[in-house]
Amino acid sequence: MGEIRSHGDNPEDDNNHNHLQKKPKFSSFITQSQIQQEFAHHQPGVARINNGSFGSCPGSIIAAQKRWQLKFLQQPDDFFFNQLPAQIIRSRTLIKNLINADDISEVSIVDNATTAAAIVLQHVGWAFAEGRFNKGDAVVMLHCAFQAVKKSIEAYVTRAGGSVIVVHLPFPINSNEEILSEFRLGLAKGKSNGRKVRLAIIDHITSMPSVIIPVRELVTICREEGVNQVFVDAAHAVGSIPVDVQAIGADFYVSNLHKWFFCPPSVALLYCRKSSLSSDLHHPVVSHEYGNGLAIESAWIGTRDYSSQMLVPEVIDFVNRFDGGIHGIIKRNHDAVIEMGKMLAKSWGTNLGSPPEMCPSMAMVGLPSCLGVLSDDDALNLRNHLRDQFRVEVPIHYQPLKDAEVGPRDEGCGFITGYARISHQVYNTIDDYLKFRDAVNQMMQDGFNCKMLVSRE
Amino acid sequence: MSSDDLSDNHYHHNTDEENGTITTTETLNNHNSSLCKKINLFHIDIRSEFSHHNPTVARINNGSFGSCPTSVIEAQQRYRLRFFQQPDAFYLNHLKPSILRSREAIKTLINANHVDEISIVDNATTGAAIVLQHVKWSFFESKFNAGDTAVMLHYAYGAVKRSVEAYVTRAGGHVIEVKMPYPVTSNNEIIRSFKNALELGKLNNRKVRLAVIDHITSMPSVVIPVKELVKLCREEGVDCIFVDAAHAIGSIEVDVQDIGADFYTSNLHKWLFCPPSIAFLHCRNPELSNLHHPVVSHEYGNGIAIESSWVGTRDYSAQLVVPEALEFVNRFEDGLDGIRKWNHEKVVEMAEMLVKVWGTNLGTPLDMCSSMAMVGLPACLGIRSDSDTLKLRSHLRDCFKVEVPIYYKQPKDGEVDPVTGYARISHQIYNTVDDYYRFRDAICNLVSSGFTCKVFQD
Repeated sequence: MGEIRSHGDNPEDDNNHNHLQKKPKFSSFITQSQIQQEFAHHQPGVARINNGSFGSCPGSIIAAQKRWQLKFLQQPDDFFFNQLPAQIIRSRTLIKNLINADDISEVSIVDNATTAAAIVLQHVGWAFAEGRFNKGDAVVMLHCAFQAVKKSIEAYVTRAGGSVIVVHLPFPINSNEEILSEFRLGLAKGKSNGRKVRLAIIDHITSMPSVIIPVRELVTICREEGVNQVFVDAAHAVGSIPVDVQAIGADFYVSNLHKWFFCPPSVALLYCRKSSLSSDLHHPVVSHEYGNGLAIESAWIGTRDYSSQMLVPEVIDFVNRFDGGIHGIIKRNHDAVIEMGKMLAKSWGTNLGSPPEMCPSMAMVGLPSCLGVLSDDDALNLRNHLRDQFRVEVPIHYQPLKDAEVGPRDEGCGFITGYARISHQVYNTIDDYLKFRDAVNQMMQDGFNCKMLVSRE
Repeated sequence: MSSDDLSDNHYHHNTDEENGTITTTETLNNHNSSLCKKINLFHIDIRSEFSHHNPTVARINNGSFGSCPTSVIEAQQRYRLRFFQQPDAFYLNHLKPSILRSREAIKTLINANHVDEISIVDNATTGAAIVLQHVKWSFFESKFNAGDTAVMLHYAYGAVKRSVEAYVTRAGGHVIEVKMPYPVTSNNEIIRSFKNALELGKLNNRKVRLAVIDHITSMPSVVIPVKELVKLCREEGVDCIFVDAAHAIGSIEVDVQDIGADFYTSNLHKWLFCPPSIAFLHCRNPELSNLHHPVVSHEYGNGIAIESSWVGTRDYSAQLVVPEALEFVNRFEDGLDGIRKWNHEKVVEMAEMLVKVWGTNLGTPLDMCSSMAMVGLPACLGIRSDSDTLKLRSHLRDCFKVEVPIYYKQPKDGEVDPVTGYARISHQIYNTVDDYYRFRDAICNLVSSGFTCKVFQD
């Protein structure tokens, strides 16, 4: 059992400080070599440039998690009655400060953004069933919403008689203005037959293709257009862009903490603005805490491993070992991913799918047209090919042309229809991106085309 | 072993320092339990397999949160490490086949017909939410009419009762609780009460749409005759028969085909040595039932088993070690059967010892006990409420380092000096007689010092 310490250690002694304000114990910040040590468990030889999908967790946090897991194994009753509730409150308090929420009652901890979407949409489903919303009332979503969210809308809204307005955002994209005008148009069109729009679901950072959305402005537009409630799906946000939920002004806001905030899988925050409307949210897994408010309901959904939800204090300690804390990390990741993105685009004769200011810690880099990414299957096959043949882990996005004659072109004048979503997290080095660069150049040299790949079963 | 053996034996635990095994010898009778033979034969070092348990605590509450041997924890850690090493590869290449492996193992264990009938979920609480949400939709989509009834036991688990409130009552269903006397004396009492409830549920032209039946109730703990109750429900044409068997797997025999319910859920982290948390939800007819996991992912519509296998990024490692847990179990003579019998015999023996010393009674007859027993606490302790039981439990934990949950039984009118508190003692393979002697002595200590729960009112 490796790092599990013996009974008698009390990690809680380390955690009785206000972690957000804590300065590093030593005058020096964490070094490159210490960072590599923290991520030594990452598979060597793999260019891991997909932090966006499953996140990452440093060794010291994994060790802290094992200590909490050990406490459960040692004496589970004592753990559940005496330790778990206090530690969850601690985590929630730190999260509240992190996102600038007004009150701790607004912060619930759930497994992931997928769960949060189910909570919000189930609430909408009840409103339809209980006649507060009328059949045909609408929910608005972006065309590139995460697949799980789309399915959740089907499962809870469509099934209950609600309708869905889909707003298409352009990609590649050049400015926030394009998004704002498309959204305004799409929302107006959707309301055109007098439908009431009950909920808008807006990504803060879209997944594929990945772009930072001007949510604050979109929330304003929603309010102007009479949308009842706004739910921001910010799965990628915490740890990759600054988050201020009061400034954003949405009713509901969810972000995963295991993607960019160094928590182990899985933990997410669900923020619900205090108002009479949001008081009727329930966790779908009902326990004896039913009716005590979403935050309390979410803190106990039966016996399970809650350890990943208890680590926020340790993660804040970790983050504060870096120069500038989380904001320093955010800035350096952003600068690095842009630099690497531009390097790749230059080498391949392509371009980025969005301007740098619309990129978080991820960037969409155009792939040379000769690779022939002409479908979602091609994108997935190419991703597998890169993993298997070149040991590069990076997700690929297929972007169909709006119009057969018009679209972004590469240096060879072919249309760019494939983009790689590269991520940069603290453990990445330039070699990861050089490896990717060389892999694609090799494929171009070999005359590779996606047609050569066979789909997996 | 005959019951004579149980009453005559003095069990003597000998900790062998050299090779770390615990051998139990009967000083009066040389027929060692066959389980002990196997322990020595195959060198299963129970002490090292449960070395993470706090050694100062008399841990006689396996029923609440279960337990997990070191071998299985280590297997789980290996899966977690693989995820941390390369999560994309883990998700794309390893997760699905590993979950399928676990589902196959469970299918065999519970005598299900086909692996499609087996979904893996976090816990029985989640299993209940899935079934009850389905019932909610049936009310909304007018398959069931407002006022139609749901029948459940009065002793149903608290979370399940709330779930019924959240999904069934809220959707227009009417809930009837089956009152059962406690202490309970026989299966017939239960069957009679249940029949009455079904009759009540049909009054005024209503239909009984849902029956929620515990296989082993939690507090107080009683093994319920589920097969007979399911049969009654079928005769009445109940649409949805759901067995909440949170405690069952690993403590009693489970044969889902024989039981015949529509849905059956049980936790594997309680009595089957899996880490927290994992449960299965068995669905007799997955295609027809249209169940959905409440956390909707891109797998929506692919069947409850597939939907449950992906509910967003999270740690699935506890769900992947069912084969390793069964491997552990099979190191014992007669495997799970042997462990079940051993635990039952020991808990019965310990329960009888305790009621004899305290002069009280058992709340549940021994033939309606699994690996848990309900032992009456001396009346002089003055347990007068649920709150008293929680405070007494904490007191036992803090001052005597005994971990045991306590049930409050309201006295009937006219009862003289009634037993109002029952301790639910568990026995799992890591327990020793000392655990129960410590409990025995703690209560004797409280009694002789004149302790009553009145002190909690201060």
